[in-house]
Amino acid sequence: MRIATSNMFDTSISTLQRRQQQMQDSQQRLTSGKRIQQASDDPTGASRAERSLSAIGRIDANQRALEASRNSMTLTESALGDANEIMQQIRESMVAAGNASYTDTERKGLADKIAGLRNQLLAIANRPDGGGGFLFGGQGSADPPFLDQPGGVSYTGVPGQIATGNVDDFPLTVDGRAVWEQARSGNGTFVTEPQPNALTGAPGKSWIDAGRVINPSLLTGNSYQVQVSGTGAGATYTVTNTSTGAVVATAPFASGKSIEFEGMAVTLSGTAEDGDQFTIAPSTPGLKVFEVLDRAVSELRTPLRSGVQIAQSNSGRVRDMDAVIANMQSARSQVGERMNNLDGTESRMADLKLYNQSEQSAAEDLDMVQGISEFQNQQSGYDAALKTYAMVQRMSLFQYINS
Amino acid sequence: MGTSALLSLGMKAMFANQAALQTIGQNIANANTPGYSRQLVNLTTPEGQFTGAGYFGKGVNVQTVTRAHNEFLTKEAASSKSLAFMDSTRYSLLQQLEKVFPTGADGLGQAANQFFNAMVDVTSRPADPSARQVALGRAQELAARFSNAGAQLADLQSGVVSDLKADIDVVNQLSQQIAAANDQVARAIGTGHSPNDLLDQRDQLISRLSQYVQVTTLPASDGSVGVFIGGGQRLVLGNQAQTLSATPDPYDSNRVQLSISEANGSRVLDESVLSGGSISALLAYQNKDLQDARNLMGQMAMAVAMKVNSQQALGLDLSNPPGAGAPIFAVGSPRTLPAITNTRDAAGAYATTLDIQITDPTRVPASSFLLRADPTGTPGQYELTARPDGKPEVLTPADIEKRYGVRITESGAPMQPGDSFVVEPVAMAAGGMRRVLDNTNGLAAAAPVTATVPLTNTGTMTVDSLYAVNKNLDLSKVPMSVQFGAVNPADNSIAYSITMSDGSVVNGNWKSGSTIGNEPLAGIDLGFELRLNGVPRAGDTVNIDPTKFPAANNSNAKAFLNLQKESYVGRVLQADGSLSKGATITDAYAAAMSDVGSRVQGSKYLSGVSAGVASDAEQVRSGQAGVNLDEEAARLMQFQQGYQAAAKVLQAGQKIFDELLALAQR
Repeated sequence: MRIATSNMFDTSISTLQRRQQQMQDSQQRLTSGKRIQQASDDPTGASRAERSLSAIGRIDANQRALEASRNSMTLTESALGDANEIMQQIRESMVAAGNASYTDTERKGLADKIAGLRNQLLAIANRPDGGGGFLFGGQGSADPPFLDQPGGVSYTGVPGQIATGNVDDFPLTVDGRAVWEQARSGNGTFVTEPQPNALTGAPGKSWIDAGRVINPSLLTGNSYQVQVSGTGAGATYTVTNTSTGAVVATAPFASGKSIEFEGMAVTLSGTAEDGDQFTIAPSTPGLKVFEVLDRAVSELRTPLRSGVQIAQSNSGRVRDMDAVIANMQSARSQVGERMNNLDGTESRMADLKLYNQSEQSAAEDLDMVQGISEFQNQQSGYDAALKTYAMVQRMSLFQYINS
Repeated sequence: MGTSALLSLGMKAMFANQAALQTIGQNIANANTPGYSRQLVNLTTPEGQFTGAGYFGKGVNVQTVTRAHNEFLTKEAASSKSLAFMDSTRYSLLQQLEKVFPTGADGLGQAANQFFNAMVDVTSRPADPSARQVALGRAQELAARFSNAGAQLADLQSGVVSDLKADIDVVNQLSQQIAAANDQVARAIGTGHSPNDLLDQRDQLISRLSQYVQVTTLPASDGSVGVFIGGGQRLVLGNQAQTLSATPDPYDSNRVQLSISEANGSRVLDESVLSGGSISALLAYQNKDLQDARNLMGQMAMAVAMKVNSQQALGLDLSNPPGAGAPIFAVGSPRTLPAITNTRDAAGAYATTLDIQITDPTRVPASSFLLRADPTGTPGQYELTARPDGKPEVLTPADIEKRYGVRITESGAPMQPGDSFVVEPVAMAAGGMRRVLDNTNGLAAAAPVTATVPLTNTGTMTVDSLYAVNKNLDLSKVPMSVQFGAVNPADNSIAYSITMSDGSVVNGNWKSGSTIGNEPLAGIDLGFELRLNGVPRAGDTVNIDPTKFPAANNSNAKAFLNLQKESYVGRVLQADGSLSKGATITDAYAAAMSDVGSRVQGSKYLSGVSAGVASDAEQVRSGQAGVNLDEEAARLMQFQQGYQAAAKVLQAGQKIFDELLALAQR
């Protein structure tokens, strides 16, 4: 077949140009390290990389949310730690106030101490989170969430908690009501409360302890009344289930001996007086820290109380303080658990990010070994093409007929 | 037999060799001239002279000069070149289009993600002005990227129009020149010899014309060639050439169509009948690829902007008193374009106008439609065809709204048969997108309602989230309370009843992980979505109250975050009336990007193939018609020697004659 000279030149030139273009592309890929420069280089890979990149962005945002949550939780944890310390001091003072040799003046001194500590506690409950909110703000609150009003401290926030995050939910605030106002009253199952003497109307001569649960399977959740009949030796007590009206226990009165009925046990102490009565009600989750403290302070400040009254009041308030301390500690351990979760989530997110990064890299990055060897291949190919081109084009019959 | 015969023989031989040498010189001179066909001298031997001693040759005749030309190969080279030009033009146009859909951090998908990721920080610190500022900044960036992309697409459109006009000018010039060449050829052909260089020139003009538009040629008996385009449309006939022109699209004056002038006015050439050449690529790109890109981009812009705006409207902002959030984004409005031929009223305005509104951004397809009056003449129905290549369907406006989320309202005189409109729900959306919210306090991060669980609950239930999801939330019925009943052991669901402040009650069933308040399938559509953690016991309640402290509430911002993972772009109405799952904004962008990417890839492959075919065809053609210099060198020597030999014959004749004269002198 004949070959037209000009076509031969055209073809060679366009082949050389194509090779040069390919080398340029390879070189660009090597410089950027990316196999995919535009979507057309590999449409599937490009959209895979796109998804990974978006996942990485979301994880980064989630990480920022996690930091915000960790910040709040750390502050809350330390606030609850401080609060716990103060509550322990208050409890110690309360126990000390039970000392029978103390006079009203000494009890008043202790009451002042407790009142001072209570104010510190209020400051902790109103601690800001450094970002314009409050640690115990719940789902939003006035400024600040706990207001010291004439009727006592009240929580003005909306109970509940706020969470952040786009992949997982991280808590930002702690429900202030749950921490400060939601301890279970009494011993957690029932509340014992002395009542004025049914006959005289004066405070009773005997007192009741907080009681305990001896057989949870027998608990009914009903209310009871303990009634003492007769005075001194020979006196008896009757326990009536006021919900059903049935008498569930009756026995001679013995100071310091426990009375057992329907899965629970309470102890009456002191001297029996005809008409002394006590109520036992199911525990409710509404015991407020500041209400307990205010009551303790006001009781300690009450002068001219009998020993029985003091004992009854101390036993009741120490019981209440134990309940609120326990509630606070359970809140604290919840916060600690959340921080633990945050750490776990963080490392899980780091893994997820790594996975997405390697996914993105697998989709769009250039295998350097392959890229370099391809480039060298093209280079030697181009070199050979140039050499042969020069050689072939030099050959012309006109050169030989010159002479 | 005399010496004169020998002299005449030698002279003829010299003349023939000289003619051959001259042709070789011409070939060498035009070795690199595009379209030149190698020329050859046709030598013949004249009939010999009869004598008693037999026939004596009378030398050589130069009959004519022919060109090495193959009609079939020339046509083949021109038509494959036409295809190659179409494919390479499309490839380079699509490469420009691909730049509007960049990958990775420069892409639109990432801009949307960054906006939503900035909302995560607003969720973490709902009252923090700097977090809100960043979110608004990202919103600005997102809107700017969409509008830039829209502007780039508009630039590409105007580039196509100017390219088309330039190409059409060249085609008109070329067809004029072909007509002129036809005229000259027809005149020259009468001489009995073929005007080789003129024919080459005409072939070359046709070949150049093929770059712009695929042509077919038909030779006529007078030597002229008829040139036809678009399946038999006459472009050049004899010495007459028709003119092509770029006329405005009847609907959208920014677009053009190809028309050819005829005796009775101009006629529109459909792009589908042009099978090759750059004009065909430009028209296809304008009518398909650019429209698809605009619609894809607009669909995303419309969906994301309207979803964000409607969620924003469901929340409370930080103004005093707190109000519903104002829109964050504005997008280019949907539009309907009447055909310029539509019926007009006495004042010259269009008699019928169509108003269009997007009612559900998630159903809007990435297409434009051609809307005609129902061909059977039934009022209140339209014939709708997706452009450019959909199937016509007869639909009522209610069907259209249900299927495509677009409400079409006709006003003015009723639509006449023959009237048509182009309906573009999203084509302008991206270009017109901008952020319209400037005040950081305007970001509605708070939900209008807050859920709380009372102390008296005995179960472990807590509130996970509560936010408004649509406009059905009636704040006049708040506060409400959700009361749970006993567990149904069959499927572990728990019955609940929602009591509203006006006393009305809604009953439903809750299962762990399901939501309360937004279950359209169960007939509960209260406009909010309540999610719970833990399990309620019988008698437990959740109270839903108006939000008291919007500055601390982040529930609506969390609803924004759901838009990041919600698949709402391009939902399709199924035959059973349900909606298919759409795509998330990231996936929608990735899909659009890879769609354009695979078009580029495909056109690159095609252009490689057709360039190869064209180069092969050209090689074969030039193998037949082109000049090989080595061959010419050999022939040069051959005829040089022939010339020398002929001169020797003359010299011999001269010598014989001289001998004869010398004899006579003696």
